[in-house]
Amino acid sequence: MPFIEHDDSKIEVNEEGFLAHPEEWTEDVARILAKVEEGLDELTPEHWVVVNYIRDYYREKGLAPMVRKMCQASGFALMRIYDLFPSGPAKGACKVAGLPKPDGCV
Amino acid sequence: MRRRKPGPSGIVAAPLETKSQDNARRDNIASVAQGRLKTYETGAPNARRFLDLLSRRITRSLAVSLTACVHCGMCAESCHYFLARPDDPTMTPVYKADQIRRVFKRHLDWTGRVVPWWVKASAPENDEDLNRLKNVVFGACSACRRCTLNCPMGVDTALLVRFTRGLLTELGIVPEGVFNVSRDQWETGNQMAVSEADYLETLEWMRDEVRAELADPTVEIPVDRPDCDVLYTINPREIKFDPRSIAHAAKIFHVAGEKWTLPKWGWDQTNFGLFSGDDRLGAFVAGNVYEAAARLRAGRIVISECGHGYRSTRWEGYDWASRDQTAPTESVVVTLGRYLAEGRIRVDASRNPVPVTFHDSCNIARSGDLVEEPRRVLRQVCLDFREMTPNGRENFCCTGGGGLLSMAEYRPLRLEVARIKADQLRATGAGQVCTMCHNCVDGLADVIRHYKIDMKVVQVLDLVSRALMAPR
Repeated sequence: MPFIEHDDSKIEVNEEGFLAHPEEWTEDVARILAKVEEGLDELTPEHWVVVNYIRDYYREKGLAPMVRKMCQASGFALMRIYDLFPSGPAKGACKVAGLPKPDGCV
Repeated sequence: MRRRKPGPSGIVAAPLETKSQDNARRDNIASVAQGRLKTYETGAPNARRFLDLLSRRITRSLAVSLTACVHCGMCAESCHYFLARPDDPTMTPVYKADQIRRVFKRHLDWTGRVVPWWVKASAPENDEDLNRLKNVVFGACSACRRCTLNCPMGVDTALLVRFTRGLLTELGIVPEGVFNVSRDQWETGNQMAVSEADYLETLEWMRDEVRAELADPTVEIPVDRPDCDVLYTINPREIKFDPRSIAHAAKIFHVAGEKWTLPKWGWDQTNFGLFSGDDRLGAFVAGNVYEAAARLRAGRIVISECGHGYRSTRWEGYDWASRDQTAPTESVVVTLGRYLAEGRIRVDASRNPVPVTFHDSCNIARSGDLVEEPRRVLRQVCLDFREMTPNGRENFCCTGGGGLLSMAEYRPLRLEVARIKADQLRATGAGQVCTMCHNCVDGLADVIRHYKIDMKVVQVLDLVSRALMAPR
């Protein structure tokens, strides 16, 4: 598997940049994924609301929440999610939250 | 970031065993227990089983494609893998087809039995050989059928690829992504394991969004309503990650005064049976849609913008499900074209001023024969529509076809050969590329990002929705 190298950290990811080992996720890893994969220089409190919700949901159910749940939990409109994460809920938000790549046509 | 680069041969050496299959066996999930979903067995006589299956499943059209090739090389020039790696003979369609052709010759064709060295006949001897075959037919071909269209002998290489994929799927020798999606379709009836509650909740949410947008409380997104003219079926990613397209469709149906519904079961028009080569999965998923239409006495099945879903449900599915389907099946783009032609909706093209080019999805144009229909719509809803070259049936794949988007292990090669698509997109100078396939949306977005092209991907529903004028 390839690695993301950033400053002193070396993070193993899959070929699409999703974490190879979701248990290795930390807030610093999220910042690096956001920067390298999503081009986000910083994660604002709004980003964290979404990221933390996805993580909690994933820990509990073992899968990614649908975007409806992300909007409900954060109070954001659908378009706001796309503004925050340019690659969208699956390839953007879920990736920063350290989930493995969702299955299917995404 | 470091990515794995393919070597002198583009064939990627992805591993044989996967974690998902272990989990499916451990949990003894229903589709595995019932033998519908196959997992890989170490120590089983897999090579022998492969040959048995090959002999049993061979058909006349396969035999033609296996024997008619004269190795002229026309297919090489039509394949984006070879065009992007012109020094790599393993990228030619004929090389990929020869990997199954040599087995056919060894076991079924008399030439291979008499003079195997002369006709290069040989058979897989062990699981590693089968895994290598997997990496050819799943990892180095997007099953786009451009070589098929350009073969003077009528050899359907993509048919051979799908056939070989089907034999390997039967042995559980498949990429993890294909296994996972097949599992979810078998287990839940949809490829993203969306629950019924989640499905209904998202539809209600989108209904409320459209009500707010049109300031019209009578907007509905009906579910399981009988005797409608249109049964609308969608791609599960529209529920799970991108419901904007459902809102667009609902808005347009409402303005057009359509009598429509979605089914509560049988709403997933996508079909991984097409990609895995498993006709039984194909029959199960497409059959769910046909049964929903029959149960609700729908006038026609309308398929949202999805390439492989269109091909599966509109063309291949009847065969897989052995179904004598009477209600017609059409793409939503055809429905939109009819609304425009009949004056049921009015549009203002000036709301789409950014130049738009159109990317024909392989499964829709080349394998589904819809070429003019999307163009007729686009010319009415955009100010500046321009063709890319080549286009229509000769268009190049988005690079994510054949299920490749769900197989991360083959991504580095996919993006390397996407150079052809990138050049084609860039040459149009358009700010937007429109496609009527969700898979192409992601395939193109990957190409655009990787090759740093200043272009946005949109779908026909986006553009029509934006141009839609309020009813008189």
